[in-house]
Amino acid sequence: MNPNGDNEGQWVKMAEIGVMQQQGAMRTLLGSCIGIALYDRKLKLLGLAHIVLPDSAGRTQTLGKYADSAIPETIRRMTMLTGGAKLSLTAKIAGGANMFVQVSPNNGNTIGEQNLQAVEKALALGNIPIIGRHVGGTSGRRMVVDVVTGTVQIHIVGQTTVQI
Amino acid sequence: MNELTQRQLNHLGELIQVGSSEASRALSTWLNKQVSVRVDQLEQATLETAVEQLGPGADVVCACCMRFSGGINGQLLLAFDDASGLLLCDMLLARERASQEWQELEISAAMETTNIVGCAFLNSLSQIFPQSTALPPSSAETTGTTWIPTPPVFVRDYAAAIMQFALMDQASHFDTVLLAHAKFTIDDTPVKWQLMLVPDAEVLAHLARMIE
Repeated sequence: MNPNGDNEGQWVKMAEIGVMQQQGAMRTLLGSCIGIALYDRKLKLLGLAHIVLPDSAGRTQTLGKYADSAIPETIRRMTMLTGGAKLSLTAKIAGGANMFVQVSPNNGNTIGEQNLQAVEKALALGNIPIIGRHVGGTSGRRMVVDVVTGTVQIHIVGQTTVQI
Repeated sequence: MNELTQRQLNHLGELIQVGSSEASRALSTWLNKQVSVRVDQLEQATLETAVEQLGPGADVVCACCMRFSGGINGQLLLAFDDASGLLLCDMLLARERASQEWQELEISAAMETTNIVGCAFLNSLSQIFPQSTALPPSSAETTGTTWIPTPPVFVRDYAAAIMQFALMDQASHFDTVLLAHAKFTIDDTPVKWQLMLVPDAEVLAHLARMIE
């Protein structure tokens, strides 16, 4: 039973990274942040990162917070969990919303857009294909990832649940 | 450097409390009840902690957001759960039967209330912070000492998602965020409305200099 008293899966909070294998689920809440689910179907191995900002600018703490550091760190933890197995990963991503678009300062790309671009770049660097995405828009998302199937459910308040 | 000292925080808290007094007066007139808006927290916290300020992240809450610019740029949020927000509408619309859902009229009432609270708050603060404290002209949104709020926008969404938006500007620059958090009572009864004032990152160093 998780702290919220339901069984939808383990929470991955802001700037955190979770890894899991064989059974279970993980979830995270996203506004302008991006959730990145890395999955190895054969090993039933899942890593979920909740990134907040695009660029670590060399910071070495809170690696899960930044797109450029979260993805390598997630892969490192997934590899450790398997005892060093070679991974074959795909990615599904969600988030990057602009919640109050009407009142956002008009000074170029939003944080959500910058996050998305940084995630795409980091995944491309690692040769990890993005096989599902649910990004942008003006609504927050609850992202729930199942470790057995790799499916991702996206819950948006007042809307039908979407599976990617 | 974005960290304010405790003395600076206390001083800033006193200034903001003046704004909340003005907001109390405006809201009392608007609702025709005795309303108190009190800043109970002015804190610097990690983003991960601050994002829980509206409650558990998965809770669905309503929030009206205004952006303001001029003296201090940032955002003001009035947030409530469904029941508390609809109670506000019932008071305003003098309904005997409790409203059950957010429709156009209810959303409009919430936004107008935010407008009244927000403008009272900001007008008061703009009087307190003298002209010499205005941000430098390099700030794209600076227009002197006239604080200009946008019209409020209403959303109903996950608490964590709303807070991510509100805090992101500071988070993109610093490891901690500063926010002022006010609570409400009506006729001495607490209500679950929350007012948050979140200045942009660029004003934090300026604030520190202002109240040295």
